[in-house]
Amino acid sequence: MKQLFAVIGMNVRSIPQRAGMSIATITSVAFMVAVLLGFLAMANGFEKTINGSGSDDVAVFLRGGSQAELNSVLARDDARLIEVAPGIATDENGDPIMSAELYVIVDGIKRASQTEANLPLRGVQQQAVNLRQNFSITAGRMFEPGSAELVVGEGVIREFEGFELGQTIRLGSNTWTVVGTFSTGGSVFDSEIWTDLGVVQNLYQRGSSVQSIRARLTSPEAIEEVRAYVEGEDRLNLDVTSEREYFADSAGGIATLLKWVGWPLSIVMAIGAFAGAWNTMYSSVDSRTREIATLRTIGFSGFTAFMGTLIESLVLALLGGALAILVIYILFNGNSASTLGGGFTQIVFSFQVTMGSVISGLILALAVGFLGGIIPGVRAARVSLLAVHQN
Amino acid sequence: MTDQLPLYQLRDLSKTYTRGKESISIFKGLNMDIQHGDFIAIMGPSGSGKTTLLNQLGGIDSPSSGQVVFEGKRIDNLSQGDLAKWRSRNVGFIFQFYNLMPTLSAAQNVELPLLLTGLSGGERKKRVKTALEIVGIADRAGHKPRQLSGGQQQRVAIARAIVADPKILLADEPTGDLDRATADEILGMLQQLNTELGKTIVMVTHDPSAAKYAKRELHLDKGEFVERGKTS
Amino acid sequence: MTEATLIRKGLFRKVLRAILMMVSIAIAFFIFAVLGAVNKAFNAGVDVAAANRLVTVNAINFTVSMPYAYYGRVQGVEGITHVTHANWFGGYFQQPANFVQTFAVDPESYLDVYPELILPPEQREAWLTTRTCLIVGQALATQYGWSVGDRIPLNSNIWQQADGSSAWDFDICGIFTAEDSSVPTNYAMFHYDYFNESLAFARDTIGWMILTTEDVSLNDQVADEIDAMFANSPAETETTTEAAFSQAFIEQLGNINLILTSVIGAAFATILMIVGTTLVLAINERTKEIAVLKTLGFQSGRIFRMILTESFLLSLIGGGIGLGLAAGLVVLIAGAFQSFLPGFGMPLSVVWQAFALMIGFALVTGFFPAFNAMRIRIVEAFGKL
Repeated sequence: MKQLFAVIGMNVRSIPQRAGMSIATITSVAFMVAVLLGFLAMANGFEKTINGSGSDDVAVFLRGGSQAELNSVLARDDARLIEVAPGIATDENGDPIMSAELYVIVDGIKRASQTEANLPLRGVQQQAVNLRQNFSITAGRMFEPGSAELVVGEGVIREFEGFELGQTIRLGSNTWTVVGTFSTGGSVFDSEIWTDLGVVQNLYQRGSSVQSIRARLTSPEAIEEVRAYVEGEDRLNLDVTSEREYFADSAGGIATLLKWVGWPLSIVMAIGAFAGAWNTMYSSVDSRTREIATLRTIGFSGFTAFMGTLIESLVLALLGGALAILVIYILFNGNSASTLGGGFTQIVFSFQVTMGSVISGLILALAVGFLGGIIPGVRAARVSLLAVHQN
Repeated sequence: MTDQLPLYQLRDLSKTYTRGKESISIFKGLNMDIQHGDFIAIMGPSGSGKTTLLNQLGGIDSPSSGQVVFEGKRIDNLSQGDLAKWRSRNVGFIFQFYNLMPTLSAAQNVELPLLLTGLSGGERKKRVKTALEIVGIADRAGHKPRQLSGGQQQRVAIARAIVADPKILLADEPTGDLDRATADEILGMLQQLNTELGKTIVMVTHDPSAAKYAKRELHLDKGEFVERGKTS
Repeated sequence: MTEATLIRKGLFRKVLRAILMMVSIAIAFFIFAVLGAVNKAFNAGVDVAAANRLVTVNAINFTVSMPYAYYGRVQGVEGITHVTHANWFGGYFQQPANFVQTFAVDPESYLDVYPELILPPEQREAWLTTRTCLIVGQALATQYGWSVGDRIPLNSNIWQQADGSSAWDFDICGIFTAEDSSVPTNYAMFHYDYFNESLAFARDTIGWMILTTEDVSLNDQVADEIDAMFANSPAETETTTEAAFSQAFIEQLGNINLILTSVIGAAFATILMIVGTTLVLAINERTKEIAVLKTLGFQSGRIFRMILTESFLLSLIGGGIGLGLAAGLVVLIAGAFQSFLPGFGMPLSVVWQAFALMIGFALVTGFFPAFNAMRIRIVEAFGKL
């Protein structure tokens, strides 16, 4: 054991002598891990935003077969029928906690690209704020029903221009004033602009139609009661899903896509890094042939030579992995980005460097170090004792 | 005309190295002629400047002052490129550690200098074969240096030195890495090249028994020549 | 033996090392070529855009419709050669997962505005005269195995007919192709009239208009005139070039270009480090051999050229393998990607870029070792005074 530590120490201490090659290995592993972590941070951040958006005890009503709010149209009568459904929770006044909603896609200017991108201008009813977890006005005040006032999600403020508090903004032929900003704690709704339902219907010629109705359930299980009621009611042609399911269905694709791109890319890069590590370790063994032979001559085992090389390789890979984690964490964690989500509007999310992805990155790094060190290690173990005389 | 001129004329040749602030004089004011067909052994203790002198003759190092005249023309003031061209036509080198290309076979090593000539592939092949036959190692033509003994490698190196038919062979401790018997074989071969093929040879050695194969011995000591007649 | 033998022997002096370097290089070029192909496919909409083609959408957003009457009014604008309109149908075949990109269009003018779409004359005739005709792009037809003469229903997840049904029956009377493989053919079109007259709601609206101008120089003037015509109406318009419209749509997905460039950059930085340092090391090992070559009379310039040729070979072989593998992969999976990345293939421009990069890479990695080799001093290399 002592001889093993001695040999490993000699190996590791000799790394600076091969500074160029060693740095090349560290960097190649670092880039590979960085690519993996970058994609996983995007995927995890997006997933977190989506998963944080849906509640189990909120039911979403859409026109049958429409799949998404954007495609759905509901009539005023539908709302009246839902109000009296069993399983819908009521507030202290005995009114059902529900909100009929309608969003129009409007153009906002994305800060990063200076191009127009889709934002949802959502007309909501008073209870809407009670149907989103953690809703709070973070600056200014709530819009006044019936007036052309907006409250803007914090995600929109981060990624888009012109929505600052107090600004007036033209969306199509209508002028609006931003009177407040709100947060729902990083959910999809932070990427929305809210105003009064009636104003949207009026200004964008939607009559009395809405797209969706959200209602608080007395309990998550109550959704079955609601469903049974809707199916039994001939005047209703609706799909009822829990809000959590709704978001899971509509937006899982992007996170999966990111992972499906990130993993193969980093594995392909890992092959390159592996070739680099192998090469470096071969040079390491080459340059120390005489030293290894000397150690063998005075009684060190071939196994220690093998381990010395293998561990040198693992150390280099680990350094690369750690470097990547540090850099990605500092540069990317919490960074804001946005992409086109399931509702055909921008979803703002933050990069998330998770523990799981850090572990994945380290495992990939160690795998490269291990595979890159093993064959040169065998070679080190087989160095001829005669190499002592080599010059 | 050239037959009347000596092959080499060294005139007032000096070589000084600077190492840091110190300057070291290797030799100073050397004068020497080398005639066609001569076989000279240059001897002397280590550090006496034997190899440095050989490098001046071979045009791989330039003197600090003085002239190296080859067949009546100065070579010490040639550019690096012209020197390279001159070497490829006129000089064959033989080194102590053979300096063969490890990746090339014996025949390919011998062929190397011919790449610098305009000879056709067929002609090159013929010359390589002849050269290998002269040094008696034609049967190992396809072997890599690693697969050859020291003596065999030096034979290949000699074949490489003579293949382009240079006017001078320069050998630096050609037997320094060989056992006595092999060394005698190699030296015998150099002697044969000198007597039978008329090659002019300058050989640096510190081994008196090696020097005996030469026609004359020059002793370089403290940067000056002390000529002795052939002892045997 | 020739100089080429010497170069080859130098490069493969340590076979394993040369192979490992080539693997690294191959990987970087593989990543470059595959991502380059993806990027090219993403930007296909911008690349195939005609310079004199404009898109008019509702100023609120392109998903918001406008009155049908706008179509007639725009036709009168000076400087326009053709104008057509389209509606998003939101179609699917049998199940919602079988998404079919479908537009309700004006049959004749649409083909005028998109002359790159090719329909055989008899199919064109059928398309113009058959009310229930659906023309299907080649890529889409291949995906679902449809052929001319098939009768299929398509559902809409947005629209409903007056009778409450969301399914429209179509006769496939044409399959269109495009002049150029980068032009997408992954969608279907049918008559606006057939669509509009059966709608339960939102009749007489159009999604967007596409028009061509007489000359590129008239683009701004035409766009301004159209937008001014509808200013201060409930449906103001916004007219941009087709390229700008496509570009903005790609930007909606995020900065794909930046992501792809970063990954490619990471891959190249990696091999630059690995191959760069290894080559310097490899030439250092050969200092003495190079000194021997010089002693034999090899010129410095020739040595420089030989070493640089080694790095060129390394780069071209490794890069060539990577490029070949990438092309193979892209061809293999192009079919599966046709529906959402139309025109996915290995573009010639990416191949040329890859070769340019190989040459650049060879110069960068080979220059210093070659320069060092050229400057080796014989006397110093032999380590003797």
